[in-house]
Amino acid sequence: MSFKDILNSGKFAVTAEVGPPKGTDIKEMIHHMELLKGKLDAVNVTDNQSAVMRICSLAVCKVAMEHGLEPILQMTCRDRNRIGLQSDLLGASILGIKNVLCMTGDHVSAGDHKGAKPVYDIESVQLLKAVDGLNKGKDISGNDLKGSTDFFQGAVVTPEANPLEPQLMKFDKKVRAGANFFQTQAIYDIEKFREFMKHARKFPVKILAGFVVLKSVGMANFLNNNVPGIRVPQALIDELKAAGKEKALDTGMNITARHIKQLKDEKICDGVHIMAIGMEDKVPMIMERAGLL
Amino acid sequence: MIITKKREFKELMENIKTYKSFFLLGCSECATLCGTGGEPELKAMKETLEAEGKTVTGTFVAKTGCQVLGTKVELKPFKEALDKAECIIVMSCGAGTQSAVELYEDKPVYPANDSMFLGNMTRLQFFDERCSLCGKCILDKTGGICPITACPKGLLNGPCGGCKDGHCEISPDIKCAWVRIYERMKKLDRLQELCEVTLEAKDWSASQKPRTLVAREEKKK
Repeated sequence: MSFKDILNSGKFAVTAEVGPPKGTDIKEMIHHMELLKGKLDAVNVTDNQSAVMRICSLAVCKVAMEHGLEPILQMTCRDRNRIGLQSDLLGASILGIKNVLCMTGDHVSAGDHKGAKPVYDIESVQLLKAVDGLNKGKDISGNDLKGSTDFFQGAVVTPEANPLEPQLMKFDKKVRAGANFFQTQAIYDIEKFREFMKHARKFPVKILAGFVVLKSVGMANFLNNNVPGIRVPQALIDELKAAGKEKALDTGMNITARHIKQLKDEKICDGVHIMAIGMEDKVPMIMERAGLL
Repeated sequence: MIITKKREFKELMENIKTYKSFFLLGCSECATLCGTGGEPELKAMKETLEAEGKTVTGTFVAKTGCQVLGTKVELKPFKEALDKAECIIVMSCGAGTQSAVELYEDKPVYPANDSMFLGNMTRLQFFDERCSLCGKCILDKTGGICPITACPKGLLNGPCGGCKDGHCEISPDIKCAWVRIYERMKKLDRLQELCEVTLEAKDWSASQKPRTLVAREEKKK
């Protein structure tokens, strides 16, 4: 079943991430794909994540398909104008890529080409509208296409953004622009997420809760201090502390698995998105512990 | 106003190393307020150049250096000093420098300043960029705060995921433009308008360079 069909059927969906490497050696990436094959409903392929120049998402999506994974093409608005974005979308379509995740993209100042000119000709809401238009046979300027696309388009949202109201305004605009599904920034507080879901449930969209596995107390503190929209509750930090350094990663995996299981059992959302960030090999184990395999 | 910043003196010296005599041209408007092209700065530049063994044949602070014809008239009494100078150093913005280029076809003209942005002065010589001169104003739709300028990504429909505690991902010194817009529209009781309208992809053709404008109506014959 395709990712779209799984979500539409009401089955709990699981996605993870593959980050294209910087350089042409893709052995490790292929190894991760092999590990994830048959376990996920789709795999996100990031687009020059953190504004660091790497292999393009489009090419890696194609490789993912060749290795038996259904890709979600992540597209940021940082590096291409509306002509480039739409052109790549048409290209993705003829390669058989079905899912696209529309996002603004980290600013170039976060990456490894700090002097680059950021583009942002259009932004995530407008990109979603553009995908919707291409699906209907029209480009942004209203020109007719010879053959339209058939994308299942999604977007991102930060359920714990501070302040939350402007973020929810944008969420609503993304829904109206045609987003079918959302993958969230990492969440660590299920009760807070439940609050966000009360808002999200007003709309006919599917929500996949985002997870980043905690590896250590230091990482939890780093996330709290530096990453926008992420808040690791003190109780979880204490749990990692109590486990000790050696067992911190294992405990972090248990926390993720426990949260995923709760979301699924209590039908809080429609699926989960696991961002392993270099620990792709741990994803199957987390899924196993969450009772997903 | 146009915000200017003095260039490194050694950069200017590299530009003018083959010349011996100079005319210094400032501007009484923006450059004076920026402290880059008023009387005190011209005087200091004259002294610095003289200390380097150069000759300054004359100095003048134009009323409005970007006004080509006005500057031309104002400079008439300085003809002799200008003729004697091998080179003109302009201590205003890039527009002022290019007025001089237009007026003195046969003379090299060098900028003493870098032109930074269109800015508001918030305190004496504290400048903020608030308008990008994009050519098609959207302030009517964003509560009077320009996200094209105030947001490093120029987002038109709300904050990105990089907003942390109301501040921008690129610097904690920058308040998130969309949080500011949202708060202002809330205060004005115009939130519904902000939330319901999705701004379309901007038509950037209004900022296609070089831009020209004829604002006066031609007199009827």
